[in-house]
Amino acid sequence: MTDQADQSRRNFLYVAAGGMGAVAAGATVVPFIGSMFPAADTLAAAKTEFDVATVEAGQLVVIQWQGKPVFVVNRTEEYLKEVDGHDAMLKDPNSEAIEAVTAEWMTPENRKYRSIKPEYLIVVASCTHLGCIPLFKPTAGRKEWGESVPEDWPGGWHCPCHGSLYDISARVINGSPAPHNLHVMPYKYLTDTKVVIG
Amino acid sequence: MLDKIMKTRLFAWIDERTGAEAIIKSQLTEYPVPKNLNYMWNFGSLALLVLVLQILTGVFLAMYYKPSAALTMGGYTVAFDSVERIMRDVNFGWLIRYMHAVGASAFFVVVYMHIGRGLYYGSYKGPRELLWIIGVVILLIMQGAAFFGYLLPWGQMSFWGATVITNLFGALPVLGEYLQQLLRGGFAVGDPTLNRFFSLHYLFPLLLAAIVGGHVHALHVVHSNNPEGIDVHSDAERINFHPYYTVKDAFGVGIFLTLYCYVIFFNPQMGGYFIEVDNYVPANNLQTPPHIAPVWYLTPWYTILRSFESKLLGVLMMGASLAILFLLPFLDRSKVRSARYRPVFKQMVILFFVCVIVLGYCGHSAPTPTLKLVGQIATTYYFLFFFALLILPKFEKTKPVPDHI
Repeated sequence: MTDQADQSRRNFLYVAAGGMGAVAAGATVVPFIGSMFPAADTLAAAKTEFDVATVEAGQLVVIQWQGKPVFVVNRTEEYLKEVDGHDAMLKDPNSEAIEAVTAEWMTPENRKYRSIKPEYLIVVASCTHLGCIPLFKPTAGRKEWGESVPEDWPGGWHCPCHGSLYDISARVINGSPAPHNLHVMPYKYLTDTKVVIG
Repeated sequence: MLDKIMKTRLFAWIDERTGAEAIIKSQLTEYPVPKNLNYMWNFGSLALLVLVLQILTGVFLAMYYKPSAALTMGGYTVAFDSVERIMRDVNFGWLIRYMHAVGASAFFVVVYMHIGRGLYYGSYKGPRELLWIIGVVILLIMQGAAFFGYLLPWGQMSFWGATVITNLFGALPVLGEYLQQLLRGGFAVGDPTLNRFFSLHYLFPLLLAAIVGGHVHALHVVHSNNPEGIDVHSDAERINFHPYYTVKDAFGVGIFLTLYCYVIFFNPQMGGYFIEVDNYVPANNLQTPPHIAPVWYLTPWYTILRSFESKLLGVLMMGASLAILFLLPFLDRSKVRSARYRPVFKQMVILFFVCVIVLGYCGHSAPTPTLKLVGQIATTYYFLFFFALLILPKFEKTKPVPDHI
């Protein structure tokens, strides 16, 4: 034993002990942070089944999927006509920016309808600006809606929170604060009318 | 390591505004501690560790726990189901709940060792009387927090434990009935009781954290006692807390965590001692379980309660058995602190530890005439110990105490 401390040995011990401590602390953090993610029963409720035949022609129904509101609209012939003719007003007419749906049904012809069956539009009902539920204002023009919509309103949704506008295929209209079209979530038809969302 | 950090510009900036360097030096790196502390002095820092673990796990459990006695579709209650959901569905919920439930028992193991050390080595004597008294306050708040927490799973033991304990207050004359209703928020333990116990179970640990701060501050004013129980005068008898005792405490933490993890992962209910089996049966206010006993850490006081024929006397004596701890520094007037140099006290205090364990055993067992008698004898000695200390210095021949350590 000398009075002189062996500094390199001491430093090694510091780093080794500190390193092991850091690994242990990190491993302890995992279950705590992990516990804050959705629990198993929450994840189990991640799919929703719905029968679109219960929606009358021209009617909008709001259902829940993963606790989020979802629009199901039964679009009449008249509404489907509103899909065309205003592409210049849209930020993203073909939903190229966000469309997470790479499903087979999303063909170039289908892009303007944004649905498997053109008459049934199914989209997440949260405005892509800050998440409010837009109001359904399906008829074109200001006749029914007054000043809340522009003069050349093609028919669609108007968000009451910050005035975002969407057309009848839920595509965002130029000048809206919302950056994207309403999201289309993955879904498929189990039977002719039964849909499973998620 | 620490001294390197203390040389940085960031630290200098903070130090100018907080005096951090002076605090770290006076409380840690240059805080003088007697050089002869044995491993019994590890339990203070361990208690602090368990308190932190309990608060941490408790905060995360509260994210999923629901304090409601309302019935669910399955026929159970919201509270019971939320605990089962934590066990089954929440990610790592089982781990966090077992950490918390085992932690409660671990907390008392550690704190009882800490108190036992204080008794044996005379740490309650002057100038540490107030340090001891603050410690007794901590013990009472801990017992309260544990009692409130035990109601939350809303199982049979939760419900009947709370019923029995709140009934104790009903034994008090005149005010008893009102006090009981005040605690329960109703005529029996029910939904309002569950809600307020959850609120208080969250409040008490915050009180604990603050009072533990006071306990540590009081310690740092009067400094640690030591196994010899003598005052330390020269620097040769002292070493700095850091690194010497931080390393020793860290070693103790390692051993503690090993045992703690063993229980959590391999035996979380500890054979019904840490989590009672009957508590997995949902609370039923129309049926008492066949054998009802508090969790082990409250059983000594439960035996004192049961040892008296009169309900009121039992309640008062149970209160007295805890209250007398406050008086201990003033009952024992011996000039010598450590049991090492007090031959009679040494035997008395060891017998006292045995007596508390016997009381605990009796309280955990179903009442029989024999156990009742044993409990009564132990209860008698429990009180006798304290009053005997009053006259002990008059005839005890203490051994010569060393001048220095």
